[in-house]
Amino acid sequence: MRWPRFVVFILVITTLQASIILDWFAVTNLNIKPDLLLVVVVFLAVRCRSYDAIIISFVAGLASDLIGPPIGPHIISFGILGSILAHIRGLVIINSAFHQVIAIFLTGLLAESLSRFLASLAGQPMTANTAGIIFGTALYSAVIWLFLGWLFTASFRWISIKRHPIRTIHR
Amino acid sequence: MEFRISAQYDMARRQIRISKAMLFTWLMLTGLICLFSPQRITNKLHFAFIKLIPLPILNAGLRTLSTAATSQSPTGYVSRRLYIQLENHAANLSAELDDTHKKLETLARLRDRFAFETAAFVVADIITLSINADRQELIINRGRADGLNHGQYVLGENGVIGTISDVSTGTAKVMLVTDTASRLPVKIAASDVYIRWKMQGNGKGGANIRMLPQKYKIKSADIVYADKKPGFLDAPVIVGRIQSFDPDEENPLLWDITVKPVCNIENLISVAVIVMNP
Repeated sequence: MRWPRFVVFILVITTLQASIILDWFAVTNLNIKPDLLLVVVVFLAVRCRSYDAIIISFVAGLASDLIGPPIGPHIISFGILGSILAHIRGLVIINSAFHQVIAIFLTGLLAESLSRFLASLAGQPMTANTAGIIFGTALYSAVIWLFLGWLFTASFRWISIKRHPIRTIHR
Repeated sequence: MEFRISAQYDMARRQIRISKAMLFTWLMLTGLICLFSPQRITNKLHFAFIKLIPLPILNAGLRTLSTAATSQSPTGYVSRRLYIQLENHAANLSAELDDTHKKLETLARLRDRFAFETAAFVVADIITLSINADRQELIINRGRADGLNHGQYVLGENGVIGTISDVSTGTAKVMLVTDTASRLPVKIAASDVYIRWKMQGNGKGGANIRMLPQKYKIKSADIVYADKKPGFLDAPVIVGRIQSFDPDEENPLLWDITVKPVCNIENLISVAVIVMNP
């Protein structure tokens, strides 16, 4: 992993997530947009070495919190779920596009629910239609992966992610 | 048989001596500290991010933060409690303004009618609504003090819904056109002629026009107007539409017409009373 490139990449994604460009793709009157940082977390968590995956998940969480107060909920939720994904990838195969879509959707549901709960603990008021927004965002993020997966894959190649080591048997 | 792990990975593990569990714990603690830190401190991270990236492409939410970042001062902050109080107050004011706009719009629309140029429209809110087989009436929060009198016509959604049947200083009772005691002079806009007749409420959310000779060519959805009544109504105003018409049971040469009011009374919040020559 080339960490300086990763920092640039995460800054670009964060800026994109916070930009009006993504507002153009917002759907429904709930203004539902895809969560690009969630896609990054899920994809890197299942591809990188677990040590790197933990750092990436927390950093992506911090980036997500930077563009929407308060700081903390996404660090924790992305951190926990990214670490869990990195841990269970040996048990559950998440290689095909369909499995990745399901993983993004489920992680989005759990991560956003957890972060909203943590934000409410920190005194942030709950917005109306929270369940709808969480479901919509998770679904949209999963769908966007189908269309922009190739772009993310190319970016990940640029930051030279190292796949988790595969144990080989030598006779 | 032996397990081989890539040399590079081994080297990396040797360089970083913190275990995965420890790394996870430290990062979690960092997250929790950030979460429960005062917002005025964590906001500095937001401001730092905003200064890093070009402003024009930021979305509205961050632009607001950005404005706060450029003009931040100790007096620029209020407590969350005060913020919520102010937000609620703003919501109340907004609802009040919306309500006033709606009343103004209703009045403006009504004044467009040339015949009512000399009329005043008293907008009143509905206090109670009684709808049952015996009685179909509503009580409104305007009365004699506002110029209301017995017999005046009451409009809802630009259609006549009833007349004032009783009035006190501050309230008035409106007998709806669907009340069995209501007998309203009406004008049916049939295809070839206007037919003047009487309409009586049926107590079931509609009204009937009885004993109309079958020589008149009427059909479903023909408009029924409240007829002009000097001193009370200067021009016909819609009351309802013909829902059905059947030969009268006693005299098959006459129509028994059922009229459906144009206004759904149960959805009304306010009404307008026509006060001619106030």
